[in-house]
Amino acid sequence: MVPNPRLKQVFVLSTAMLSFISFWKAASVVLCDFGSSAYYAGGIAMKAFGPAFPWFILGVMLFSGLMLGVYTESCIMFVRGGVYVVVREAMGKVMAKFSVSALVFDYALTGPISSVTAGLYLGGLLSNILPLLHINWHVPSRAFAVIFAILVTAYFWRENIRGIEESADNNFKIIAFVAVVAVLLLGWSGLTLYQRGFVLPPFTPVFSEEALGWTVHFPWLKAVGLIGIVMAFGHSILALSGLETLAQVYREIEDPKVLNLKKAVVSIFIFSVLFTGLLTFISALIIPPDLVAGKYAENLLSGLALELNGPYWSRLGMQVLVVLSGVLMLVGAVNTSFVGANGVLNRVAEDGILHDWFRHLHKKYGTTHRIVNIIAVIQIVIILVSGGDIFLLGEAYAFGVLASMSFNTMSMVILRFKRREEEREWMFPLNIPYNNAYIPVGLMLVLVVLLSATGMNLLTKKVATIGGLAFTAVFYAIFYVSEKLNEKKAQLYQPDDDSDEKMNLRREADIQTVVPELTKARRVLVPVRNPNNLVHLASVLETADDDTTDIIVLSAKIAKGIQSGGETMADEDKEVFSAVVLLAEKYGKTVKPIFVFSNDPFYSMAQVAQAAGADEIVMGVSGSTGAEIQLERLAMAWGMLKKPGEAGKPVLAKVVWEGRQMTFQLS
Amino acid sequence: MIRQSDGVSLSAVITPENVVFIEGTPSKEEAVRQLTERMLARVSGVISRKALFDRVAEVEKLNQVLESGFYIPHAKFPELDAFYGVLGVVPQGFTDPATGLKVKALILLLSPHKPAFFQRHLNMLSLLSQTFQPELIEKLAVLKDPAAAAALVTGK
Repeated sequence: MVPNPRLKQVFVLSTAMLSFISFWKAASVVLCDFGSSAYYAGGIAMKAFGPAFPWFILGVMLFSGLMLGVYTESCIMFVRGGVYVVVREAMGKVMAKFSVSALVFDYALTGPISSVTAGLYLGGLLSNILPLLHINWHVPSRAFAVIFAILVTAYFWRENIRGIEESADNNFKIIAFVAVVAVLLLGWSGLTLYQRGFVLPPFTPVFSEEALGWTVHFPWLKAVGLIGIVMAFGHSILALSGLETLAQVYREIEDPKVLNLKKAVVSIFIFSVLFTGLLTFISALIIPPDLVAGKYAENLLSGLALELNGPYWSRLGMQVLVVLSGVLMLVGAVNTSFVGANGVLNRVAEDGILHDWFRHLHKKYGTTHRIVNIIAVIQIVIILVSGGDIFLLGEAYAFGVLASMSFNTMSMVILRFKRREEEREWMFPLNIPYNNAYIPVGLMLVLVVLLSATGMNLLTKKVATIGGLAFTAVFYAIFYVSEKLNEKKAQLYQPDDDSDEKMNLRREADIQTVVPELTKARRVLVPVRNPNNLVHLASVLETADDDTTDIIVLSAKIAKGIQSGGETMADEDKEVFSAVVLLAEKYGKTVKPIFVFSNDPFYSMAQVAQAAGADEIVMGVSGSTGAEIQLERLAMAWGMLKKPGEAGKPVLAKVVWEGRQMTFQLS
Repeated sequence: MIRQSDGVSLSAVITPENVVFIEGTPSKEEAVRQLTERMLARVSGVISRKALFDRVAEVEKLNQVLESGFYIPHAKFPELDAFYGVLGVVPQGFTDPATGLKVKALILLLSPHKPAFFQRHLNMLSLLSQTFQPELIEKLAVLKDPAAAAALVTGK
């Protein structure tokens, strides 16, 4: 007689976070947002302070290297970070709520500014192409841009309601295409400059009345000098949008995580300086200033393509490529704004500061449709109010960019003292060791620049200040009221840093049905039980080669009796897997989480290991029994599940705890 | 046929002299006590009665009946240099109060408590649980003769 079945129910868990992406794909996700500003930042800056704009856009892109450094340190410290978590850890929930409110304002504007820009580029192209086709339609550029922007927003509204994941592969293809276009454009621009020669643009900003904002009442501020430079820098900082995306995507980067983050950051920096910084600069060298301010103000890179040396058809062809790459990248940024805002608002909702009403799941698609609806409605209202005026959108933009960067940098400075004992894998440079801490001189200098720009923007960018403060106040009020409403619930449910992982649970009839999903040459089974005792999993994640090893993480819930019932996963079980997912994210390695109901955990380990053909079983030490007894029980379960006389595949059984391990072979 | 596994062999542990038939329906403790008495006769030169009974009683709290209905109370002693086993056959069986499983066969296993022996100790436990499957236990339960029981288990 065969012993009773021990695995009464088998569940396979999956979350979006159990697969990881390479550094170049991570860089492409960020660049789709970060790099898209190349299409509008130059024109907006030109309108604000005149022909000096390329110096400042280039300066901002060089400054992005420093900001990428700040975010590198914060990402490494908080795998699931983002400005909310970083600020909350450093300055508490109140400031965190402010920072998120400002950030959401930025996401609300990222969509409209990107979609309207894409519409303007497309409208500009149609104006050139339609006459060649003998179609005498006049395309009113702003009206066309508004219609296009609304259509794009509606499309991504629908996609995000349906819960279609942002694909890193698509982002990579877009960036690859954009890179090819950029190389062509740079090459051709170089040739044109060689043939025509060039004059460097003036460095002195000449501010428009609008760009001076409230400082118009303080004529002494107009004086060109450091204040003028900070003012111009503040008007150019909108080119820096997208750093929060880096914080969001870090959790998805594969092993070796920190090294890959650094590679991604360097790639983003080089691409941004060359694409946004250099192309904007070259545009100013090639396009006559009156055309930059006029005809090409709303589609600068199209202007660059059309003003190159060469026959008209070839320049038009280049414009087609520029517009195509721009539309792809800018449209991608619209999606990023949906995904980013939805993600950030879900994140704060998990922390109990957004009412559950907002997190209501769509009946069919299981997405947080109310948040998506709100984002879409806000974006469409902004598009309509802007009337396709990219300068108005630019005027409002950057409030949240600067706020979130300032909050993030300030938090990193505070954390250097608050968490001085925490070992950091990488620190932003320029540190002075003092009293068991590193005084972050480099971070503080960056913070001074950011605070100066923030202060100046508050005075000069009236639309951004009024709009940003009003929006932030509204969102802060929503968070505040939600928090109060959730207070009782929050007391019962102690919010955890990274709990409430959204998991998909797939019930399987038998462990054998899961085996075909294990495709790698080597298989390691890691049983888990206690979310606070995962040293053994960490040791496996640290050493296993993700390309050749399947890491099966098994949690066995003891259900007495032999009948298969309707057991479900309890909160404490989800907590274990949340901790597993977090650890897998930390190391950037894929795991296969399996949850079983079993009569005995050792039988389930042996059964899963034998079914999966595991090469190793790595256990954490049990505080109640100790390593030897664990191994004895596993050995007995192992033997019992084998047929008499069966040789079987030898398996290494390890018990791992802090600094020690016991290894034996099960034969 | 029982396979020898990495230096462990059931024939060295289970001999006709080390097989005990326990009549009736004893309690788990009583069954283990009878095996311990028989074990004492084998190891009395190196382990005192008190040490043996105390240690077996201690490990009994940790040991669990396998789902096959086989029970392996086992203990390690630094004084030993080899495995010692006493096989108990309970034709009518007893019910394990912790799991509700019917136990008709059990083996008291003593192992050397030395690092070099731990791998073999695990192999022995694995081999015992592999061997004592429900089919074999049912066959054992109908036997009357220790020699036949030892031969069935060891395949000799």
